[in-house]
Amino acid sequence: MSTLLFLIGEAFVNLRRNALVATGAVLAVFVSLALAFGALVFNELVRVNTLQWQEGDHLIIFLKDEGGPVAHSELLEQINDYPEVKNAWYMDKAGAYQEFLEIYSDQPALAATVTAADLPASIRVELDDISTYQEVQFRLVGHPLLRRLSVFSEGIERLLSLTGVLNSIGIGLVVLMGASAVVLIANTIRMAIYARREEIAIMKLVGAGNWFIRVPFIIEGATVGLLGGGLAAAAVFASHNLLERIPTDILIRFQVDPGFLLSRTILILAFGGLAGFIGSSLGLRRFLRV
Amino acid sequence: MIRLHNVAKVYDGGVVAVQEVSMDVRKGEFVFLVGPSGSGKSTLIRMCLREEKVTRGKIWVAGKDITKLPTWRVPYLRRTVGTVFQDFKLLPNKTVAENVAFALKVTGCPRSIVRRQVNTVLELVGLSAKTDRYPRQLSGGEQQRVSIARAFVNRPPILLADEPTGNLDPATSVGIMRLLDRINRTGTTVMMATHDFAIVDAMRRRVVQLDRGRVVRDQGESGYESSDES
Repeated sequence: MSTLLFLIGEAFVNLRRNALVATGAVLAVFVSLALAFGALVFNELVRVNTLQWQEGDHLIIFLKDEGGPVAHSELLEQINDYPEVKNAWYMDKAGAYQEFLEIYSDQPALAATVTAADLPASIRVELDDISTYQEVQFRLVGHPLLRRLSVFSEGIERLLSLTGVLNSIGIGLVVLMGASAVVLIANTIRMAIYARREEIAIMKLVGAGNWFIRVPFIIEGATVGLLGGGLAAAAVFASHNLLERIPTDILIRFQVDPGFLLSRTILILAFGGLAGFIGSSLGLRRFLRV
Repeated sequence: MIRLHNVAKVYDGGVVAVQEVSMDVRKGEFVFLVGPSGSGKSTLIRMCLREEKVTRGKIWVAGKDITKLPTWRVPYLRRTVGTVFQDFKLLPNKTVAENVAFALKVTGCPRSIVRRQVNTVLELVGLSAKTDRYPRQLSGGEQQRVSIARAFVNRPPILLADEPTGNLDPATSVGIMRLLDRINRTGTTVMMATHDFAIVDAMRRRVVQLDRGRVVRDQGESGYESSDES
């Protein structure tokens, strides 16, 4: 136990002596992991915002309450007869409420303020050809039951088709930034070891084993990784808080589930620590030959 | 305590440092390795510490064949052999007490024992009043005393010294030799490489003379030059 405390103490003495290089490494790891974390959050925002479009609803026709379900059914029949429409279906207030609860499952406070009566019934339309949405829109303009028409526009179509690409880019960015964090830490530890190579030689001469020499550097690397990861998580949390304050309509959300943020924060911190461990182990290898 | 059998060391490029050296150092003996620069004294000491591997031959230290020692066992060998060098090899960012304590901490020794042993050995080398100083705040002689304290703190059966007085003035060298002699009298085997003929002549101990990597003289209670020559 006293040996472990001694080694931890050595690691922090090393960090203090190496403060400038260590600070540089922490900031570099912070930038890498913040970008990686940012990519994860961005992917999640894209996923959340395109959730309702991913089930094939190209148009959502929100209906006024006048006329009730009977009038709504008549309109549904009319819409189903449109040549551009592949399929149309009716979502009543209860269904809309269920969907609302699903989308805002992470915000129970918001869900508590809304009841099924507050939400409009709607007709969801799937088109044969997405480019014909304007014709359907034209037919419905001025209809007495129409409250609002949400269009799954070509822009959204492109966004959705881009989602896969964005996901791949995001994952690629996470991997690249993670690898760069490992390399940065390995380099920092290698510089620290190079600066102290004579000390290491002396330690070996008095009988210090490789692990005795290695552990403080590994703790040093893991600390750099954890600090970098911690700063990255703090930056992403702060940015998310700022985004949350932007007023949005039902179509665009800048909030992600706090559970998602928390789990990814733990992941980023663990990755930071692991990157430090791997980086310092890599940096140490060639210096510890007897 | 130390036994070398037909030991040879050839460095990369074919430079022969040591050839066919055989010698025995008994428990409690004090042996001087003498010879001109490049005669192989330091290489012999480095091989006894497994800092260098032998090219041929065998070396036994404290009963163990260290030429067959796996790499992971080397630190354990070094814990049984105290070492003192010309350039002191102290850790610059540790105090006197921390430098000495380090040799015990690598063995996992409990803190209370470390403190007690460090105080005892610093008293032995006359540095009790300077425990909190850093190496840069000490004279050469004091730094060498710290180095000796570190080498002796875990009471090793063997102490190897490579030119320990090489950087010191004659008066300070005498003090260092007295200290090594005192350590030897506790039963520790001492093997010391040196150029300092005054010290060798004054001490009158066994002398092993090397020349171009070979043992050319091995004489008990001798001076720097052969008794036959003087």
